[in-house]
Amino acid sequence: MKILVPVKRVLDYNVKPRVKADGTGVDLANVKMSMNPFDEIGVEEAIRLKEKGVATEIVAVSVGPAKAQETLRTALAMGADRAILVQTDDAVEPLAIAKILKGIADAEQPGLVILGKQAIDDDNNQTGQMLAALTGWAQGTFASAVNVEGDSVNVTREVDGGLETVKLKLPAIVTTDLRLNEPRYASLPNIMKAKSKPLDTKTPTDYGVDTAPRVKVVKVSEPAARSAGMKVADVDELVAKLKAMGVHS
Amino acid sequence: MKTLVWVEHDGKAVKDATLAVVTAAAKLGEVHLLVAGSGVDGVAKEAAAIAGVGKVHVADNAAFGHNLPENIAPLVAELMASHDAFLAPATTTGKNIAPRVAALLDVMQISEILSVEGPKTFTRPIYAGNAIATVESSDAKLVLTVRGTAFEKAATSGGSGTVEAVSAGGDAGISSFVGAEIAKSERPELTSAKIIVSGGRALGSSEKYEEVIVPLADKLGAALGASRAAVDAGYVPNDYQVGQTGKIVAPQVYFAIGISGAIQHLAGMKDSKTIVAINKDEDAPIFQVADFGLVADLFNAVPELTQRLGD
Amino acid sequence: MSDFSAPSREQQFLLRHVAGLHELPIALDADLVDAIVEGAADIAENAFAPLDRVGDTVKPRWADGRVTMPPGFCDAYAAYVEGGWGSLAGDTAYGGQGLPFSLMMVANENLFAASLGFSICFSLTTGAIEALEAHGSDAQKRTWLPRLMTGEWSGTMNLTEPQAGSDVGALRTVATPADDGLYRIRGQKIFISFGEHDLTGNIVHLVLARTPDSAAGTRGISLFLVPKYRLDAEGRPTIDNDVRCVSIEHKLGLNGSPTCVMAYGDRGECYGELIGEEHGGMRAMFTMINNARLNVANQGVGVAERARQKAAAFARDRVQSARADGSSGGKPVAIVGHPDVRRMLMRMNALTQGARALLYYAAGQVDRANAGAPEARARLELMTPLAKSFCTDVACEVSSLAIQVHGGIGFIEETGVAQHYRDARILPIYEGTNGIQAADLVGRKLARDGGAELSRLIGEIRGEAGDEATLIALCGEVERVAAWMLAADVNDRLAGSQPFQTMVSVLVAGWLMARQLRVARIGAEEGDVFVGAKISAARFFLDCLVSEALGLAASATMGAAPLYALDEDMLLF
Repeated sequence: MKILVPVKRVLDYNVKPRVKADGTGVDLANVKMSMNPFDEIGVEEAIRLKEKGVATEIVAVSVGPAKAQETLRTALAMGADRAILVQTDDAVEPLAIAKILKGIADAEQPGLVILGKQAIDDDNNQTGQMLAALTGWAQGTFASAVNVEGDSVNVTREVDGGLETVKLKLPAIVTTDLRLNEPRYASLPNIMKAKSKPLDTKTPTDYGVDTAPRVKVVKVSEPAARSAGMKVADVDELVAKLKAMGVHS
Repeated sequence: MKTLVWVEHDGKAVKDATLAVVTAAAKLGEVHLLVAGSGVDGVAKEAAAIAGVGKVHVADNAAFGHNLPENIAPLVAELMASHDAFLAPATTTGKNIAPRVAALLDVMQISEILSVEGPKTFTRPIYAGNAIATVESSDAKLVLTVRGTAFEKAATSGGSGTVEAVSAGGDAGISSFVGAEIAKSERPELTSAKIIVSGGRALGSSEKYEEVIVPLADKLGAALGASRAAVDAGYVPNDYQVGQTGKIVAPQVYFAIGISGAIQHLAGMKDSKTIVAINKDEDAPIFQVADFGLVADLFNAVPELTQRLGD
Repeated sequence: MSDFSAPSREQQFLLRHVAGLHELPIALDADLVDAIVEGAADIAENAFAPLDRVGDTVKPRWADGRVTMPPGFCDAYAAYVEGGWGSLAGDTAYGGQGLPFSLMMVANENLFAASLGFSICFSLTTGAIEALEAHGSDAQKRTWLPRLMTGEWSGTMNLTEPQAGSDVGALRTVATPADDGLYRIRGQKIFISFGEHDLTGNIVHLVLARTPDSAAGTRGISLFLVPKYRLDAEGRPTIDNDVRCVSIEHKLGLNGSPTCVMAYGDRGECYGELIGEEHGGMRAMFTMINNARLNVANQGVGVAERARQKAAAFARDRVQSARADGSSGGKPVAIVGHPDVRRMLMRMNALTQGARALLYYAAGQVDRANAGAPEARARLELMTPLAKSFCTDVACEVSSLAIQVHGGIGFIEETGVAQHYRDARILPIYEGTNGIQAADLVGRKLARDGGAELSRLIGEIRGEAGDEATLIALCGEVERVAAWMLAADVNDRLAGSQPFQTMVSVLVAGWLMARQLRVARIGAEEGDVFVGAKISAARFFLDCLVSEALGLAASATMGAAPLYALDEDMLLF
């Protein structure tokens, strides 16, 4: 079985985002960029499935600028077999990404597509579900366990208030949650091997996808600053405030 | 504009998360609800009573019993032929279904809206809430998920919606529900907890920490934290420490109890979404960062709070 | 979340423009180098950095001759072994990756910065590998190298004894010939870093000892490989070798590293193998020590980088006092806005970058020398004392300034910045004190060729100095002081050796900073912050630090007389 693993290049998890003064977005110049942590979990899960003998090939995919090659190399260094970069300098929305991935899925015929549940930049949490709709495949989102059995996969999902397990017919879409696994560090020999693994470059038009945005970003601003010290008179008032925020037992 | 709101329920009753979505939908136009599930007459009646609701579409079918998006998304997409916007709460169910609907409609979803700024303009958090984007959709229809804490809840009574059965949809045959496991009451990890209850040296002993702090955390399903002073005094183990040299945390709600708020402690929790401080000393620096500060003797106030939150 | 961010961009830049990695016979393309540098950053930032504080506070524990490392250390160590980082520069014949030494310096710098106390473990293993590669028999290499390279086993260096510190020749550990060509080892060693721990399945100690009837002093010393466990017929480390950790030291800093007192052969059952020739111990040990000195220099760069980052982050967050020029309208601003805080941060940047440049230049010479360039060997030998002393002095100054930037809270352990200051303080001491380095510089390195190599270096610097007036002036001053040193009596020479060592170090670092200043813009994108930061640090180094070094000529040529003006008793008065 082949596994497709889409990965996104995002602002590094350890970097605190700073909103640009002109309100057009978050400053990404001169800051460290890395693979989206949820995608890293997806790559790790694919590698584990390959190590278990369930998967035979792992194809990493990224839609983004030329520099997204580095992210794909990271996936290759972790253990993916080959990579496809769909190169574009535009900011591509989840719907268009899902359409591109649909094109790649048609060409590659994977048994599983494992995506991060969301990217930590735009926090959309959409691409996996959209890809599932476009392919007509089943989806197991927010996965904390993935077990392939024959022609189906059991996915344990992190849902509000607990866990739920669904059985999906293959091929299927899985999106990862934090507890699915702990990704490995790329090993030095694998970093060196990654250099010689194939990386194809495509464009969105190769898949007939128009990446023009549907949603316009009017402005991006800092969240409201912490308002200093509102004092509540007594426990009653505090309880009321907390309950209004949805904090209760 | 005609909106369709996803009613989140457990098969017996409407869940609270739905009510904030109704409020958001009402800002856009007429509010219709969708109750999908198996044996959901009661839920539909309850939904029809929510203030401001026009019509309640009820899709009662075993295939809709476990919110499987493979079965539900085509149903919603069909209903969207006569609606302009689909809204779901930003719960794990809403997040699972809405994007699948959006893609079927060829619409770019707007996730976790915080406010409605215009008929197609919304605000939403990006970068884990470190920035707020104002966005405008150009699609013919809208698909939105709604952050529950950002909108008031609609009243659960006073509405007089009409209930209408929907016969559309069925089992797509590609997915099935195997089982569910309600979260064990395991205490969450400090660094990933949504709520943290931290105690400081004012507690005076590990016994008092157990007696005062732990019950509140239990009640809220919160992680336990402490200031360095409390750790050094031996009230709790090292790994409870929140602060620059301990754990750096940013939960939804952080309770600082009997913690004065030394700069090193603040460095570890200042990014919390909401900070609640309880301290006897009204000049304690913790009150400068607290959203809600209560000047009180913690030994009286905290047990009372614990009890009242369960009411 | 990690508070350490590896300086990958700076490292990539230096590998190219200072170490000249791309000029080596081994063809490494730039993308691969970048990927390795970033891979090394990832494991350091995420696996090691969180353990720095744990090492300092929990500390290794000793019980019954065995040492248990703090929680988390074994997992991070395992990640390092699995990642293959230990074998980066090792011989491919024994499982190494055969990559350049300068690339290993990058990986190690990140580990040192992330957790100095923990990561010196790797330097020691590297030293053992290098000694074995240079002096071991083929059989010894086959037996010991592969698992040392992966890091499955670790190595140590055993020189010091209670009566034999800087004077190694005074050591008394004995090695008596026994059966099978082995030697029975008996003696006690002190200050043995990672002499005992629970990270690996075996520990390979390289021990200096005396064979019976050997000459006194360093000429009678031989080097022995003494494992914690000897290998059974299947090559497994199962036979207890009567090596015991008697105790571990309580120290000012570097608490993550167990500093052991080691007892060899208390029961008479400790055996070792001779490495190299009998009585060839010092020569073999110098193989370890030379690169080990560069490793210590690297430790200095790492800890300076970590301290610098902490101070810069604090200065941006800490709000205190309005701007003196009134531009903040009387409102308090983040202290990074105040001129003297700026001065400290700029000084830290310039010192750290200058030290790193000097070190990477020396590392580049190691690679050239390994590739068979004899002139690189001579240059490396001149650079070794400079790098060791300058990088470690910089570590102390930068970590001290980092505390100063924090103000009073920096003196409180909780900020974590004090740890770097305590950790850094050993660096000018171990692996040959900086005083010993200075003596090496003005003695062996300068005197043996009458200053010829230094003259060649100055010639190169002049050729590249352009119109950097202070740098040209420092060339002249170093030349003048060197001539004075060569003519001076030994006491006068040693009296001025430290300031002279600093002058030459600053000259070399200044030269390399000037070079970076020249090339920083090449190929960079518009608005690249790295370029601006590099240019400002280089300018600060050339304008301020090189100027300061000019002033050291007076103390370098002062002679010994003023130092002996007081008799010994009066010094205590």
